[in-house]
Amino acid sequence: MKGISKIFIIFILFVCFASTIRAQQRDKIEELRAAFISKKLELSTSESEKFWPVYNEFQDKLKAIKRNLRLTYKNLPANFSDKEAEDIIALENKSKTTEAELNKTYNDKLKIIIGVKKLVKLQIYEDEFKKEVINAIKEK
Amino acid sequence: MPERINNIFVVLICISTTLLFQNKIKGQTSFDSLDINAPKHYYKTVIFLDSYSKPNQQISDKGGMGTDSTISKKLKSYGIQQFNFGFYTPIHTHEEFNFDSTVCKNTHYLLTGNALLLQPKFDGIQTHNLLKLGVGLRIIHNSGKKGVWFIDISPFVTKDVTFGDKNGYLRMANSFIYSYNATYNFNFRIGLTKSFLWGNRNYLPYLGLRFGRLDKVNFSIQIPKSISLNIPINNALRFSVFSKPQGGMFTFSNYDSLYNNAFSLFSKNSKAFHFTRYEILTGFRLDAVLTNNLSCYASLGLSSQNNITFYSEEANAERPRRFLPLKTYFYEKNLKTTGFLNFGLVVRFGQTKSYYNNKNLYDAFDLNNVNTVGDNNSGPGNIEIPIKKTIKRSKLNLVDIQDLIDTNDN
Repeated sequence: MKGISKIFIIFILFVCFASTIRAQQRDKIEELRAAFISKKLELSTSESEKFWPVYNEFQDKLKAIKRNLRLTYKNLPANFSDKEAEDIIALENKSKTTEAELNKTYNDKLKIIIGVKKLVKLQIYEDEFKKEVINAIKEK
Repeated sequence: MPERINNIFVVLICISTTLLFQNKIKGQTSFDSLDINAPKHYYKTVIFLDSYSKPNQQISDKGGMGTDSTISKKLKSYGIQQFNFGFYTPIHTHEEFNFDSTVCKNTHYLLTGNALLLQPKFDGIQTHNLLKLGVGLRIIHNSGKKGVWFIDISPFVTKDVTFGDKNGYLRMANSFIYSYNATYNFNFRIGLTKSFLWGNRNYLPYLGLRFGRLDKVNFSIQIPKSISLNIPINNALRFSVFSKPQGGMFTFSNYDSLYNNAFSLFSKNSKAFHFTRYEILTGFRLDAVLTNNLSCYASLGLSSQNNITFYSEEANAERPRRFLPLKTYFYEKNLKTTGFLNFGLVVRFGQTKSYYNNKNLYDAFDLNNVNTVGDNNSGPGNIEIPIKKTIKRSKLNLVDIQDLIDTNDN
């Protein structure tokens, strides 16, 4: 019986400890974006099944391009050479071109899945989401 | 012996198949030419430490006679202390789209491993350290439509390391499951599993039903693994009420001469025999996500249907069956219900591809979680599945500064 009461006390302590911890989510924004779009776009079950894997892949690629460019700028030495400057401009141009290509490719894929009207709505809701995020930051 | 060779052979075939499928995923040329180091897998590498214990209780044989009574007197009491270290890591992810790029299929190859140390606490004898070591492979195939296939091959070795015995015993636990996601809110699973959770080697049908979304409150019946009501509070805290079996089959050294009493007339004195246990755990579990890659859990409840047995394969084979009935277990005891406590720490590594709202991948994560690493039925939980968020609309408007912000910027 003593053992069980010890167990109970430890469990209560754990619950109190756990409830005070606020989880940190690195990709919180992506989760919120997914929830926002999911709510707004009102996809049917069959549309939703096909849409999310393709959309997630598209977002992953865009994110990877932006992150790559950001890191390249971040790692640039303070007194960079002309060659380094040329390289980074070339990378920036290539990144923008690839982004545009990806936009076209994935818009074509998504058009088949959700139709052209919902695809336009998707662009609108993505912009709306960005505004919401800015609003949230401003509130803080 | 041939069965063991067969088991090893199956593992080798599976590893070879994995290597054969090491094709590079085809991507868009321009994207690939950027040579970006993007995540390749949907699963993170997960390492978990699990501790399970329950208090000692007296083993009584009121008015008992014979071998059972003698062994019970020698053992005196029974309790459990168990430590489990396990991991799984993605080794390859194969992904492809259909002809119009609207259906994404993927196959995940995971390497699993675990080391479990079980200390059955018998007051009458020295504490034994029963070790179970396993390395396995699981293949999870998401068809991209409604179905997800799950194959788990988990060979493991059991040995009693207390007295330096080197003899191990090779066994194999397997699962083959088909999971059908009828809707986000309803899923069923059928399959076969070879498991030791119920104390001995059992070939059991697998039947699963889930009502409710995995990222919301859901009720899941996964026979013979678990029944649970999962209540996510938020992304940081998840609560569940569950009932599940826990058990296994271990090699137990005969150092204490438990197996010398009545049957020494009929058989050689075994160096080791088998110890089996099972129990039904019913209780609560709370998972707390501490950081993005660190979580812990605690659960407590009641351990009922406690059963322990000892048996010796050699003795069973050598016993003169003509004169005595063949009793598989030379000792078997059902014990009273007690409390239990279970703690765990989970560490995750790496980054993954996005899988938000992808119900098949959520289901693939759940399959990987319900069928825990090493056939031990204690694992890291469904933390990978993000809990559905609600967006609160801000009261502020941005009209006054809208022109200053390029909403296309990320």
